[in-house]
Amino acid sequence: MRFIPERFKHNGLFIVMFFITVMMIITVSITITWTTIRMSEQFFIKKFSITNYKVMSQVKESFESFNYSVVLASNNLLQSNTIKNILTHEQFSNKEKLSAYFNTGQQLKHVETNLDAYEESIQVMGRNGFSFATNRDYWPITDEELRTSILASNTFKEPKKLIYQLDKRNDGTNRRFIVASKVLMERINGTVYGSMYFAFEESEFRRFFTSYTGPGNNVFVVDKQGIIVSSNQSKLIGKKPEGLLSYAEKIEKSSDHYIIENFMGKDQIISMEYLPSFDMYLFNMIDKQKAVGDLIDKKDIVLISMAIVFVALIIVFLATRRLTNSLSSLVKQIEDASKHEFHQYVSSAGTYETMKIGNAFNSMLDELHLYVDQLVESQKQKRNAELAALQQQINPHFLYNTLTSIKFMVQQGGKEETEATINALISLLQNTIGNVSETNTISQEVDNLKNYALINQKRYGNRIKVNYFVAPDCLEYHVPKLILQPFMENSFFHGFNRKPGGYINVLVWQEKSTLICEVVDNGDGMEISSENKLPNTKRKQQMFSGIGVRNVHERIQLIYGEPFGVTISSELGEGTKVRVELPISSI
Amino acid sequence: MKKVLALFLVSILMLTACSSGSNKDTSDKGKDTKEVTVWAWDPNFNIKAMNLAKEAYKSENPDVNIKVIEHAQDDIIQKLNTSLSSGTTKGLPNIVLIEDYRAQSFLKAYPDMFHELTSSFKAADFAQYKIAPTSLDGKNYGLPFDTGVTGLYVRTDYLEKAGYKVADLQNMDWNKYIEVGKKVKEATGKSMLTQDPKDLGLIRMMIQTSGSWYLKNDGVTPDIAGNAALKDAFQTYKAILDADLVKPVSDWGQFVAGFNSGDVATVPTGNWITPSIKAEASQAGKWAVLPMPKQSGIANSVNASNLGGSSWYVLNIDGKEKAADFLGKTFGSNADFYQTLNKEMGAIGTYKPASEGEAYKAADDFFGGQKVVSDFAAWTEKIPQVNYGMHTYAIEDILAVSMQDYLKGKDLDKVLEDAQKQAEEQIK
Repeated sequence: MRFIPERFKHNGLFIVMFFITVMMIITVSITITWTTIRMSEQFFIKKFSITNYKVMSQVKESFESFNYSVVLASNNLLQSNTIKNILTHEQFSNKEKLSAYFNTGQQLKHVETNLDAYEESIQVMGRNGFSFATNRDYWPITDEELRTSILASNTFKEPKKLIYQLDKRNDGTNRRFIVASKVLMERINGTVYGSMYFAFEESEFRRFFTSYTGPGNNVFVVDKQGIIVSSNQSKLIGKKPEGLLSYAEKIEKSSDHYIIENFMGKDQIISMEYLPSFDMYLFNMIDKQKAVGDLIDKKDIVLISMAIVFVALIIVFLATRRLTNSLSSLVKQIEDASKHEFHQYVSSAGTYETMKIGNAFNSMLDELHLYVDQLVESQKQKRNAELAALQQQINPHFLYNTLTSIKFMVQQGGKEETEATINALISLLQNTIGNVSETNTISQEVDNLKNYALINQKRYGNRIKVNYFVAPDCLEYHVPKLILQPFMENSFFHGFNRKPGGYINVLVWQEKSTLICEVVDNGDGMEISSENKLPNTKRKQQMFSGIGVRNVHERIQLIYGEPFGVTISSELGEGTKVRVELPISSI
Repeated sequence: MKKVLALFLVSILMLTACSSGSNKDTSDKGKDTKEVTVWAWDPNFNIKAMNLAKEAYKSENPDVNIKVIEHAQDDIIQKLNTSLSSGTTKGLPNIVLIEDYRAQSFLKAYPDMFHELTSSFKAADFAQYKIAPTSLDGKNYGLPFDTGVTGLYVRTDYLEKAGYKVADLQNMDWNKYIEVGKKVKEATGKSMLTQDPKDLGLIRMMIQTSGSWYLKNDGVTPDIAGNAALKDAFQTYKAILDADLVKPVSDWGQFVAGFNSGDVATVPTGNWITPSIKAEASQAGKWAVLPMPKQSGIANSVNASNLGGSSWYVLNIDGKEKAADFLGKTFGSNADFYQTLNKEMGAIGTYKPASEGEAYKAADDFFGGQKVVSDFAAWTEKIPQVNYGMHTYAIEDILAVSMQDYLKGKDLDKVLEDAQKQAEEQIK
């Protein structure tokens, strides 16, 4: 996912989902459109072929009725005794010939009534050389030409059959004729006495089907050799395009009435009817592209599909965005949770799932807080218990020594001195052991210091003086018990080992919201190690209680937090300064 | 993200916009009201003549567009009949060519469908025999076009072999013709003429020399039984056949081949055959044209007759004035135009003043220097006027059968009486 820029990181899910959906929508719409077009095409072709088959049947019928007219006409001629007599007549005088022409003309005029609906020329040729045509202008073939033509030889090959052939006139007009021909034969004894020809211009033939044709819809009448005899595509008449006959076979075998094949370079819907009386095939070819292409407005379909896809995309875009937005904002909030020390709750909005996740996360935070609080609380309690235990452990040596000192005072008879010392010890013990509360006011604490200092001065002499500078507005502030006593103790026992005497100053004041207490001596001083660790007291027997310099600092930090605590500065030979900082607000 | 989406949407919109097609303008062609359409048949003669007239008219009125359309004569008749009988004139031309033999049947059947041309040309300027078939109730409807004036085209070389000179045979009658024919057959073995048994053109030519026709002057009553001219014509016809002067033909092609191949010595027919005769250039100088033989037994018979010929008619539809003006200024009054017609295509009109022109007086070397056109023009004026009436071809069909009966030996009077009865029944 490296290609997705940083700003899209939270939308990764959206992008993936959206693009997958887009791809799916497009794929589905293309598939459906394509399938629909194909199905409707096939449906249309099927229906179309059925109607077309009917049309072709109609065309076939007109061909058949045409053929029937020709059959009637040929029968009339066959049965005509006049014609027979004329064609079997051996020698004509001019007068006889004139009469023969007239009679033949009359006969043919009668025969022509069968073919009233069509324009044609009827020609009869006798074995005796007599020939007569009703309309030589229409079919301009000379007797000699006709006699030697393939038309005549084919006719005589099958004397009992009416056959149809294609004839092309090479007189410059290039007119094409469909010639129906039959031998004139005495059926009883098989004597052939002539032949008859019915010539129809190809256009006469064509009108049976031209009304059904159009651009892309062509009809071909094809003979057994595969030559196109008649068609609305006049250029192809007389040609022999490949494949036509094989199509005929295919269609005869196929269960439908049509096949789709390539012809003239285009896919065509081909249907075929066999014209038995003509021994020809009637082909109908429809340019598939033109027929079906017109049917389905592909542009419209594509436009509609595009519009649908477009609308779907907008909907998908908005919906996906809504779904993933809540999720990604949830993710963002969860990610930021650690920055706010798990105090920032996530907003549970959006869908059901994200709401549940948010809620779960929030309750997890709750649990976490609860647990942490409990932990802190138990830590605190543990500390307090420790402190209490330490508090209770008033060093017995302190008491022995003090009591021993008092005993000497009594022996020396210093009654008042003894009383003051005992009073100091009593109030000191009262304040430390007797008072169960954790904190003392500054004034109490200062009293403790004074009593402690008094006892020490009684025991060790007055070489160390103690001065108190307490700002009066600070007297009522509460501070943890025995936070200053360990430092004074420290000064008494370690600060004046070399120097013969000095003083200890206790200062208490406030700066803004901070209470500052300082215990300053002008004793030996000490070297402060780089770790700034407070020195450990080893001489336990001299300590007042279990509370040492070190654990004062820890206690303050535990109660008030990181920024507060004890700082010690000292110089060898100059003295030591201990500074305790406490917040006023929480006192 | 938004930018990508916006680009995507815009591209879709662009695609949709691009795919909308542009419509093509379709403009209808306004109908040209200055167009005059003409229907005629025969591209070598009538169509050609009309195209010449079109050229001639250009100098008169270049704005009018003459459109000449060729149809077969049968098609024209059929189309006129269907349209006119249903009363619609849609799709009909302004000018139509109608054969004189059929003119009356159209004029009588649809008198209001034709535009009167009396004022468009001077009837007196045209050969008199043309006026009767082209007019109705004294009003002129047709403008006479070609003449069907007949002549006897003869092979002078054959005649000379039989001992005749052209000068000896002027203004002969049919008896003389048969006599000549026999001699020619003797001398050359050639037949005298070709005949198509279903075409009684010869009979028609014969009876018109006597001012007689198949119908009486009213144009309706058959005039067969008791028609002396017709009876004489039948007899002559049989006599010609009996003398074995006829080479039988069954169609036009064989008819033309008959004289082109030199099989016959004479061709009695209309002057319009001249181009066909001249088509065989090898026979140049061997032909001459004699006046039509007259009927032997009929006193008022003259040596002039007519076969065929047609005239122009203007239909009573929009543009008739223009059409009438066009005809009047070309075929109706332009003598020079007739000279052009004759020079270009050998056509001879029936406009009398045209015979004064140069082309009409020119000698024709093909006919041995004879002034053929001038002769025809002179004969035209002598043609007896008859009313072809309405049923020429119907009666001819009956007479063709009667002729065969007569030739087989049936009594002539009986034959004609039967024909008369049949005609009366059929025409009624």
